[in-house]
Amino acid sequence: MVSLNAVLLVSFSLFSIGIIGVLIRRNALVILMCVELMLNAANLNFIAFARHSGSASGQAFALLVMGFAAAEVAVGLALVVALYRKRDTVQVDDINLLKG
Amino acid sequence: MEHLLETIGRNMFAIFGVMTLSGAVLMVASRSAVHSVLAFLFAMLSIAGCFLALEAEFLGMAQILVYAGGIVVLFLFVVMLVEMSKRKEKEVFQLQSRYAILAVLVGAAAFLAVFRKVIFGAASPEALVLRPELAQGLNVAHQNAQAVSRSLFADYLLPFEILSVILLVALVGAVVLAKTERV
Amino acid sequence: MTAETTLMHAAATAASQPAGYLWLIPFLPFFGFLVNGLSGKKLKNTAIVDTIALGSVGVAFLLTLYYFVQLLGLPAEGRSLHQSLWTWFDVGGARVLGGLSTYKIAWAYKFDALSASMALLVTGAGFLIHLFSTGYMAEERNDGRYYRFMAYMNLFVFSMLNLVLGANIMMMFLGWEGVGLCSYLLIGFYFDKEFAAVAGKKAFVTNRIGDFGFMIGFFLIFQVFGSLDYDTLMGSVRDISALKTITLYGLTHAPVWWFNLIGCCLFVGAAGKSAQIPLYVWLPDAMAGPTPVSALIHAATMVTSGLYMITRLNFIYVQAPVALAVVLFVGALTALVAASMGLAQYDIKKVLAYSTVSQLGFMFMGLGAGAFAAGMFHVFTHAAFKACLFLGSGSVIMACHHEQDMRNMGGLRKYMPWTFLSMGLATLAIAGIFPFSGFFSKDEILWKVFEGWYHHGAYDGPTLNLVAWLMGMLGAFMTAFYMARLMIMTFYGEYRGAGHDPHGLTVPSEAHHAAADHGDAHGHDHAHAAAPAAHGHSEHGHGPAEVPWNMWVPVFIFALFAVVLGFLNLPHSLESLGKVFGSDHFSKWLEPLLYQVAAPEHGHHAAPAIEYALMVWATLVWAPGAILLAVWIYGMDPSWSKARAFVTRFPVLFRWVNAKYYVDEFYEWALIAPIKRFSAQLWSFDTWVVDGMVNGAARVTLIWATLMNWVDEYIIDGTVDLVEFMVQETSGVFHSLQSGRVQHYAFVMFLGFLVFAFWKFI
Repeated sequence: MVSLNAVLLVSFSLFSIGIIGVLIRRNALVILMCVELMLNAANLNFIAFARHSGSASGQAFALLVMGFAAAEVAVGLALVVALYRKRDTVQVDDINLLKG
Repeated sequence: MEHLLETIGRNMFAIFGVMTLSGAVLMVASRSAVHSVLAFLFAMLSIAGCFLALEAEFLGMAQILVYAGGIVVLFLFVVMLVEMSKRKEKEVFQLQSRYAILAVLVGAAAFLAVFRKVIFGAASPEALVLRPELAQGLNVAHQNAQAVSRSLFADYLLPFEILSVILLVALVGAVVLAKTERV
Repeated sequence: MTAETTLMHAAATAASQPAGYLWLIPFLPFFGFLVNGLSGKKLKNTAIVDTIALGSVGVAFLLTLYYFVQLLGLPAEGRSLHQSLWTWFDVGGARVLGGLSTYKIAWAYKFDALSASMALLVTGAGFLIHLFSTGYMAEERNDGRYYRFMAYMNLFVFSMLNLVLGANIMMMFLGWEGVGLCSYLLIGFYFDKEFAAVAGKKAFVTNRIGDFGFMIGFFLIFQVFGSLDYDTLMGSVRDISALKTITLYGLTHAPVWWFNLIGCCLFVGAAGKSAQIPLYVWLPDAMAGPTPVSALIHAATMVTSGLYMITRLNFIYVQAPVALAVVLFVGALTALVAASMGLAQYDIKKVLAYSTVSQLGFMFMGLGAGAFAAGMFHVFTHAAFKACLFLGSGSVIMACHHEQDMRNMGGLRKYMPWTFLSMGLATLAIAGIFPFSGFFSKDEILWKVFEGWYHHGAYDGPTLNLVAWLMGMLGAFMTAFYMARLMIMTFYGEYRGAGHDPHGLTVPSEAHHAAADHGDAHGHDHAHAAAPAAHGHSEHGHGPAEVPWNMWVPVFIFALFAVVLGFLNLPHSLESLGKVFGSDHFSKWLEPLLYQVAAPEHGHHAAPAIEYALMVWATLVWAPGAILLAVWIYGMDPSWSKARAFVTRFPVLFRWVNAKYYVDEFYEWALIAPIKRFSAQLWSFDTWVVDGMVNGAARVTLIWATLMNWVDEYIIDGTVDLVEFMVQETSGVFHSLQSGRVQHYAFVMFLGFLVFAFWKFI
C-alpha cells in the first residue's frame, strides 16, 4: 500500500520544481504552467490526507482548487495575450516598468 | 509475470509519482514552449494516475478532463498564438537561476532536515489505509463520487457557490483583458 | 418697575382693538411700487401705470376711511386699533435703566386718533396729488420716466404711512428714512440736470444731520424706558418722571434733565425733516423736483413728520420745559425769518417753499407753547391750502410753458379761472382771513403762545412767549403780504410772457434751465405737442390756457378743504359759532393721546376780552393790511415803481433778503469749506505721512527681503541640497534592488518565506 510519506515526498518535490520553474524561466507561459504544478502538488496533499483521515472533505477541496486553478489560468492567459498584444512579447524580463 | 504485475500494482503510486516529477522537470527544463506544454500534459496525466492510485477515482477523472482536456489545450492555443512572434527568446533562464535553484534546494534540505524525524521516523511506513473507525459507514473507496458530492454539496456548499462566482468573474475578466481594444 | 411697565403695556394693548387689514393701508402702495417699479419699464401703456399707482393709493384711502369710521364709533379713551404682523427684531438682553431689556421690536401698526388723521391726510392728499401728476407729468409719459415717478410716489406713500401708522419708534424711523430716501429720489428726479442732483444731495445730507439727532434721541429713550412702543412709553412715563435721579453713562441727573436732552435731540431730527433753522436750507432747493412732489412731500406730508413725531412723543416734551422752549423759539425764529425771505423772491415755487418753512415754524411754535392739538391742526389746514397753492403754481408753471419767474407771468386770471379761484381761496386761508381755515389754526397757535405770557391776565409768563408771539405776528403779516404779492404778480395785470412788456418788468426766461421739467428745446416742443394742455403748435408766443380737468379738479378740492377745514376746530371763545358747528372737535379728538401733567382742566372759563381783541385785530387789520399793502405796491401800479424805488432806497437790505441772508453762503464758508479744507489736509497728510510710512515700510521690507533671499539661497537651499545629495547617494544602493523584474521579487519573497518557515530553527 502507498505510504503517506511517499505521497508527501512526491508533492514536496513537485512543489519545489514548480517554485524553481517560476523563479528561473523567462517565458510567462511556462511560469503559469509552473504555478499549475504547485497547485497540483497541493491537490496531491489534499487527497493524501483525505485518504489518511478517511474523510471526503479533502477531495472536495481538491475539486475546488481545481476550479480555482482553471479560473487562474483563464485570467493569466488573458493577461499574457493582452501583454503580447501590447508589447509583442511574453518575456517577463521585458516588462520592467517598476524598475527604480 | 504475475508477480511483476502485482509489484507494479503495489507500487502504482511510486511509478506515477516518478513520472509526474520527470514530466515536471522536463517542463521546466525544455527550451521550447511547445515542449514545455507537452511535458506539462504528461505531468498532469501522471498526477491523474497518482490520484487513481490514491483511490480518488472521481478526482482522477476530473483531473484528466480539466487539465488534459481544458487547460492544456488552452495553453497550446496561446503558445501557438504567441510563438508566431518573430522575436526569438534570447535566454530561456533567468540570470538568477543558479541562486534560485540553490535557495530552493537549501530550503528543501532544511525542510527535510527539520522534518526528518517525522517523515522517516517510526510511524512513517504507516500505510494509507482506510481506518474503519473513520470511514463512518461510508465506503469511500467504492462510492467515491457519492462521497465527494455529498461533502461538496452538504458541508462545503458556500465555498462551492463562491467558486462559481469566482469562475464567472474570471470569465468576464478574461474576456475584458484579452479582447482587442477598439479604437 | 419693569414688571409694572409690562403690566401697563398689557393694559394699553388690551384697550386697543385688533384690526385685520390694517397692514394693507401701507402695503397697498408698496405693492403698487413693486409692480410699477419692476414692470413699468416694459409697459408701453402708461394708463396701466396710472391705474396701479392711483388705484393702490385710492384703495388705501378708502380702507383708511373705513377704519376711521370704525374708530369714530369707539369710546374716546379706547380709540385705538392695532395689528402686530411679526417680530421685526429681538433687541436681546440690552442693558437699560432698571435691568436687562427683554423687548422685541414688532412690525406693528397702530391706528389711533393721531395716526388716523395723518393717514387720512397722507392717502387723501396723496391720491389727489397722484391724480394731478397724471396731468402734470404728461410729458414724461413718452420718455420712459413716467413709471419711475409713479413708483417713487407710491414708495413715498408707503414710507409715510409706515411713519404715521407704526406702533413704535423703530417703525417710525423706518418710515422716516424711507421718506428721506423718496424725497432724495424725487428731488433728483431729473438727475441729468446738475442742479437737481445737487439739490437732492443737499436734502439728503442735511436730513442725515437731523437723523443723527433723532437716532441719539430714541436711543436715549430706549435706554431710559427700555421700550420703544408708544403705549408702553406713555404708560411708564409717569413712573419715570417720579424717579429722583436717573443715572446713565455715569451721569446722574434728574429725569427732567434727561427729558430735556431727549427732547432736544429729537428736535434736531424734527428740524432736519421739517426744515427748521438751522437745517431748513434744503427745502427751497428741493423745489428742483417736479411740482407734485413739492406739493405732496415738501408741503403736505413729509415735512410735517417732525411735528407728528413731537406730538406723538408729547408725553416727553411735556416733561421737558427747556426742550419745549427751544422748539418754541426755533419755531418762531423760522416763522419770521423764512417769511421775510419769501418777500423778495421772484420764483413762484421759491416763494411757496419759504412760505412752507415759515408755516412749519408756526406749527412748531404751537407745539412749543404746549398746544399740540393747535400745532397739529395747523398741519392739516396747511396741508390743504399749501397743497392747493403748490398744485396751482404747478398749473401756472405749466400754462406758462415752464416759466417759474413771476415777473414773466401776470394776468393769468383771465386764462385760468379755476386755478385762480382755487389759489385765491387758499391765499385767503393762509393769510388768516376770518372764515377760512388758516385763521382758525394760526390764530389758535398765536393765541396759545400769547396766553403762555398772558397767563389769565397775570402777564407773568415767560418773556420768551411774548417775544415768540411778536415774531409770529410779524411773520403772519409777512405771510399775508408775500402771498398777496404772489397772487397779484401772477394773476393780475397783463400777461407779460408773450413779449408784451410795457413796463420792462420781465427778465430773460430761465425756463430752459430752471424748469427741470424739460429735456431740450426739441423735447420741449415735442412734449408740449403731446401734453393734454397743448396749444396747437406750441411756442412762447402763445398765451396760456386753463389746464385739463385732472389738474384743476384736485386743486379745487384742496381749495374747498382750505375753506372748510377750519370749522373742525373752532376755538372755545367762538362759542356762538360753535353752537352751529360744534367747537374744538380736533382738540377733543386728539386729547386721549396727549399727556396731562395735571388733571385736564375741563372747567369752562369765559374767554378774555383780549382774545377777541386779538382775533379781530388779526383778521380785520393785520392780514387785510398786509394784503392792501401788497395791492398798493404791486397792484395799483403795473410798473411796480414803488417797489423799485424801495429797492433803490435800501439796496443792501433788498440784496440781503433776496439772497436769503446769505445763509447758504455762510454754511458754505463756515462749515462746508472748512470741512473741505480739513479733508484736503487729511488727504495731504495721507499722501505725505501715511503713504510715506507705507513706502518706507516697503523699502525696509525690500532690503530685508534681499537679505533673506541671500540666506535662503545659500544657507537654507544649501542644507536642502545637502540632504538631497545624501539621499541620492544612499538611494543608489537601494535602487538597484528595484529591478522591475517580477521574478526578482518572487525570489525575494521566497527567501522571505524560507526565513519565516525556518525562523524557529535558525
